[in-house]
Amino acid sequence: MLIDQAAEFDVRDYLRKEMMPHFLCPGCGHGIALRALLWALHDLGIDKDRLAVVSGIGCAGRLSAYIDANTFHVTHGRPLAYATGLALARPDLHVVVITGDGDCLAIGGNHLIHACRRNLKLTCLMLNNEVYGMTGGQVSPTTPEMLLTTTTPHGNTEPHFDACALAAAAGAGFVGREVTLNVPKLKELIRAGLMHPGFAFLEVMSDCTEIFGRKNDLGSSPEMMMRQKSELRPTAYRDTVDMPFRPNHLPTGILAKNDRPEYGASYRAAAAKEARR
Amino acid sequence: MSDPGSTELAAAIPVPLPGAGGAEPVNVLVVGVGGQGVIMVSKLIALLAQQQGYEVKQSEVHGMAKRGGAVFSHVRFGKLVWSPTIPKGEADFLVALEWAEGLRWLDYLRPGTGVFICDTKQIVPPFSCRDRRPGAALGYVRETVSDVIARVGEGYAIDATHMAEQLGNDRVGNVVLLGALSAALNFPAAQWEKIVADFVPKKTTAVNLEALRQGRRWIEEARKGLQHPASVPPPPSPTVADYRVRLEITPQWCKSCDICVKMCPERCLRLNAERIVELAAPDKCTGCRLCEWLCPDFAIRVHLDRTMAGAGMEAAR
Repeated sequence: MLIDQAAEFDVRDYLRKEMMPHFLCPGCGHGIALRALLWALHDLGIDKDRLAVVSGIGCAGRLSAYIDANTFHVTHGRPLAYATGLALARPDLHVVVITGDGDCLAIGGNHLIHACRRNLKLTCLMLNNEVYGMTGGQVSPTTPEMLLTTTTPHGNTEPHFDACALAAAAGAGFVGREVTLNVPKLKELIRAGLMHPGFAFLEVMSDCTEIFGRKNDLGSSPEMMMRQKSELRPTAYRDTVDMPFRPNHLPTGILAKNDRPEYGASYRAAAAKEARR
Repeated sequence: MSDPGSTELAAAIPVPLPGAGGAEPVNVLVVGVGGQGVIMVSKLIALLAQQQGYEVKQSEVHGMAKRGGAVFSHVRFGKLVWSPTIPKGEADFLVALEWAEGLRWLDYLRPGTGVFICDTKQIVPPFSCRDRRPGAALGYVRETVSDVIARVGEGYAIDATHMAEQLGNDRVGNVVLLGALSAALNFPAAQWEKIVADFVPKKTTAVNLEALRQGRRWIEEARKGLQHPASVPPPPSPTVADYRVRLEITPQWCKSCDICVKMCPERCLRLNAERIVELAAPDKCTGCRLCEWLCPDFAIRVHLDRTMAGAGMEAAR
């Protein structure tokens, strides 16, 4: 009578239990995003031995240490570079990159645009908490204007990046965004990204309660998550003509999708041609 | 009205025909759920009546259309129409695209002579779920087809959605019902087909015309007694919840972030003296798993344990 697909998935099967509890602050949305990623992997039936998780430096980068799979914790900003090499050498692996907003857009911005351009089969999960959390709350490329951080004590004056627009413009095959509050929808988005035969860039809006939230008086983690909900604008409502009550909108859902040729396949074809000569 | 069958009634009671009576306008009430095409059907009726030289007034409520809410449209036409709305008990035709919506508007039908044409499709609205616990009783209508048809002058229950699915496009269910109505309103069949062909998107003209013809044929056969009213499946009966909810909490992993306590729709969790989450009201918990999904520390796991009653029901099924 009750169809409860969620009952089959126990996140603890995918965690390194000796590492738990994890180091994230109370109420950090990264844990929810990690669950959604593991749930999507479980849904697709991806074997843990066939999964490689590459992550950089930062709160988000730390997550790979808790996943019971092949994990690779690499230098700051370079997880996409390492993952590119890994995916080219081992096309049989599912390569997932977990990165943060600073790791991906500031230090690794260069690697991001070129990974998008190449369209290699990779899944890049960018957890956007709008701040450098691990190093003490410095301003990041996604910190909204006017908000306070330790390096912008009078409010951020720089315009912030729209990471999804950047990835789509650079040519990523699949671009999507979701908030942590909608866990099943986030899981479905990650699942769609994992199934995409090219570069999938997924932005997860996460909440940094302890540092960013406290500095800007955004309330506790439930309040920060509900704020995301009030700002989001799912695909279904994005194209409506009447948008009277949503001045600050955050588009969510699948934002771009195309069938550009996958780089790994064309690279291998070129290499085989070269070998025959 | 003891006889539930529609066929004898159809023969006994004259259908009000446009222009035949004279001064009084003909009233058509189209009701349904947002997205089914209520407005489209009423527009077609209004346009056709206008082309036939009648004065037409139409008014509608469609604000909830996007959210699956109730939509209705009044169409009145005649030599002279003063008011755009149909008074209660004066609708000559009630075309309902959804079963419960049809019953909601049944009082508007003219007693004795009103014609009731209803799809048997059931769209259960969220508010008929009075209890969020799984297996709870639904507040959806419980009347059967014969109950309803006995209450009206002339009633037809068509499984129009199924017919539309058979045609390959489930969105033409409204046109099947329009076809059924066309058999009762005495405009020429060719005029109906022309207006449908003019109005619908070009790619769907063929399937819409076929839907119109099938609906019309269905009513004609029903009047001859060849067709029987489609049966409405009984609404889900109240059953006992066949499992018990159990929360497995890992206290060492809980960081007292309060997300589960604040986000629980039933407010059944709380933080204890050590600021570790605990289930304060086990009888309120519906097992929706929101706390499990939103816990960033993986400290909560929801188990739905099958009870003996549930196991027995499963075996019986």
